[in-house]
Amino acid sequence: MTHKLYPRLAWQGITKNKRLYLPFLLTCVGMVMMTYILLSLASSPILKTFPGGDTMPMILSLGSFVMAAFAVLFLFYTNSFLIRRRNREFGLYNILGMGKGNLAKVLACETVIMALISIVGGEALGIALGKLFELLLVNIVDGTVQMDFTVSGPAAAMTTILYLAIFALLFLRSLVTVCRTNAAALLRSEACGEKPPKANWVFGLGGFLILGAAYYIAVTIKQPLTALAVFFIAVLMVIVATYLIFISGSVALCRALQKNKRYYYQKNHFISVSSMAYRMKRNGAGLASICILATMVLVMLSSTTCLYFGKEDALRTRYPTDLSVELRFAKDEGGMDEANIAIARGMIEDVIKQDGLDVQGQFDIRSAWFSGLLTGNTFTRAQESTLMDYERAVDLTILPLEDYTRMTGERLTLEPDEAYFCCPRMTYTQPDLRIGELTYQIKGQLPEFGGFGADSANITPTIYLIVPDFDAAVNALRTQNTRYPVVVSWQYSFDSGSPDEAQIAFLRDMMGTFADNREGLVYASYTVESIASNREDFVGTYGSLFFLAILLSIVFLAAAVLILYYKQISEGYEDQARFEIMQRVGMTKTDIRKSINSQLLLVFFLPLLFAGLHLGFAFPFIHKMLMLFNLTNLKLLIGTTVVTFAIYAVFYTLVYRITSNSYYSIVAGAKEEHT
Amino acid sequence: MQILEVNGLRKVYTTRFGGASVEALKNINFSVENGEYVAIMGESGSGKTTLLNILAGLDKPTSGSVLLDGKDLASIKESDRAAFRRDHLGFVFQEFNLLDTFSVEDNIYLPLVLAGVPQKELGARLEPIAARLGITELLKKYPYEISGGQKQRAAVARAIITSPRLLLADEPTGALDSKATDELLRVFSDISRSGQTILMVTHSVRAASRAGRVLFIKDGEVYHQLYRGNLTDDQLYQKITDALTVLQAGGEQA
Repeated sequence: MTHKLYPRLAWQGITKNKRLYLPFLLTCVGMVMMTYILLSLASSPILKTFPGGDTMPMILSLGSFVMAAFAVLFLFYTNSFLIRRRNREFGLYNILGMGKGNLAKVLACETVIMALISIVGGEALGIALGKLFELLLVNIVDGTVQMDFTVSGPAAAMTTILYLAIFALLFLRSLVTVCRTNAAALLRSEACGEKPPKANWVFGLGGFLILGAAYYIAVTIKQPLTALAVFFIAVLMVIVATYLIFISGSVALCRALQKNKRYYYQKNHFISVSSMAYRMKRNGAGLASICILATMVLVMLSSTTCLYFGKEDALRTRYPTDLSVELRFAKDEGGMDEANIAIARGMIEDVIKQDGLDVQGQFDIRSAWFSGLLTGNTFTRAQESTLMDYERAVDLTILPLEDYTRMTGERLTLEPDEAYFCCPRMTYTQPDLRIGELTYQIKGQLPEFGGFGADSANITPTIYLIVPDFDAAVNALRTQNTRYPVVVSWQYSFDSGSPDEAQIAFLRDMMGTFADNREGLVYASYTVESIASNREDFVGTYGSLFFLAILLSIVFLAAAVLILYYKQISEGYEDQARFEIMQRVGMTKTDIRKSINSQLLLVFFLPLLFAGLHLGFAFPFIHKMLMLFNLTNLKLLIGTTVVTFAIYAVFYTLVYRITSNSYYSIVAGAKEEHT
Repeated sequence: MQILEVNGLRKVYTTRFGGASVEALKNINFSVENGEYVAIMGESGSGKTTLLNILAGLDKPTSGSVLLDGKDLASIKESDRAAFRRDHLGFVFQEFNLLDTFSVEDNIYLPLVLAGVPQKELGARLEPIAARLGITELLKKYPYEISGGQKQRAAVARAIITSPRLLLADEPTGALDSKATDELLRVFSDISRSGQTILMVTHSVRAASRAGRVLFIKDGEVYHQLYRGNLTDDQLYQKITDALTVLQAGGEQA
């Protein structure tokens, strides 16, 4: 044997099995491309010039890490499919006199060819299309475009090393598979019958139970913090349950139907039910993977789209006014007195005048903030960290009625023992609320009002209690002895028509003034916030999350498409013989087609159905998670979720149409060979 | 009474792009009486399988006609053919053609279920047949669990459970060892004695020697035929061998 034989055999193996190798190579190329693009963007100097450029490299690097991990898993999965099909050919070579060593050489050549095509092709495409994705990113985060063409050396090197390693692993795995099987068995492998699928009731039932539990957890979560805590557990449960249901549950269901003789022995059910059991046994894992991938894409896209398009909303929730200055006072040093506050107000107004800032609808408001637990109708200040008790943990903010009236313009009145209650993030049904020695009758619940942006970023819900006697209420709680502080503060907030630059200038000047503090103002700490200076950060963070979601979605979608395609092809090969026999036994062609069609449709819709179900139950979850990103716009989330699902369903159907053509061409091709 | 009548059957295969054409059947004429056991012999490529496919309505003749119980197969609509096959014909193939997704029992039920027979009747119809073919113990097993001979007996059960007018067998012993072959041929003789009409295509002399009549096909024509008369299996075997020798010699001279 000459040394040229191996590359030739390897090349022939690839070209002769085009139907199998082409999609695999395309996927490899795509994955290399995406990895390169992510890595090159993450290290790109252009990012530094973007608004919010600090968070982006981090998010993108995280993305490329996810990408790499996924590539390893997925390429392994699809490669196993290739190897199964090629085994027969290798068996033949073996019988014709090629030893295991020779086979290893053919395999090695094949791997080298595939690696070469994938890495060179992928990186070339990545370099070519990199600019396109860069433009997309720039567009999303409102940055400025630089039209220079760059090749990122380090990114290319890292991608190459990563995929060389993956291909090396694939080679080792194929080698082990090929060496373990013996030639005679290989040749016979397709002829010998297949064991009927066994219904594993324990696993099947377990799958449904776990899924039910995960769903239950998802819909009963009350607090965003809880959502965060059980997020990974629930996701894991859903993944495990999906695999169990698709692999065991479906077979068990078919078996149960078969046991029902009156149902089973009917023309319409007989063939469908028994072949479905086999179909699910063989494809259960693949279908479950499609379902998981679909769910990931849907959750990722719907939430990030919502974040991205709701960023102004989120920004407004976090920063209700364009500018705000807040002074906090220590426990015993005072400062909440009108004299001190007047000094502060004067300082702020001086800076406004000095900067020539336009001011619209300014107001100032006093408040007191406590962290604690709400038990029934009683609020007690926290003795220790409330983090572990997150179902009861609340923050309480007490506001004077006059300040609330000034802020909202609403004319409300209260008797001395009455209070208004406001907590957008939870439902409170008690008629009164006890704080310390005082009990306030709840005169009414107020709708959400802006004013305390920082609270919206908290993971615990905040109760706003509007009371007629501010000092009495604060003192009632102040006397409870804990090591956690009472935060008494005064804030001055206003909107401004001035350009962003002027607002940011005000922020700087204001902070400078406080640093000097020549006027004897008493305070413990201060905060100056400007929506303008934070907007870029929001856009940068949410934008790059959105961008990453798009990129990863493309990859996950490609993966789902490939699994679907391989599934169709393998089913085509398996069904062709069956198609033939059934025809002889007396099934009409239309009958067969109808039966196969309905089976394929069911198999195809199952992952989509479950993905939709998962998404539906994940919805409250996503909603709670987005609250942590200051986003409470439920309508927007429903909108993006529905639209994402609709687009995905259309796309999936399209792919199904295309791949089922290859299925039919295999089945039909077989028929021609027989006549 | 004649069950099957084949007149002037001709079949020409043309490659898809109208290139070379092959004449598989030239001019076939024969008939089968009710209850007859007929074997059709011929070498590979003599057109046996083509003939069987046409008889089964799986393929259409280029010219000529096939009458089953006086009904022309060509007059049956394409969409009704499968149902016609199911109700009037039974098949046994060389490769068994059992569906591996079904248990043996369900494989045998297949034509009945397709015909819409109520589930209650299924067991009653299978029982006597299974007992006769000695597969009662195998019914719950799957095709991959049983031997070739057992598979073929299951296939026979599937073929005769609909009480077909005609049982068509295509090289039924082709994939069996000699012991299983003997067993299967006994099964065929047995069901033939019970009045089942059988048409078997084979190139095994042993299989043909059990039949009541043997037709020889060569180059797409019926070349010769032998009647059993009062001959024993062994005597018929000898006559078939002689006929084949002549046939072969004749072929070489031509």
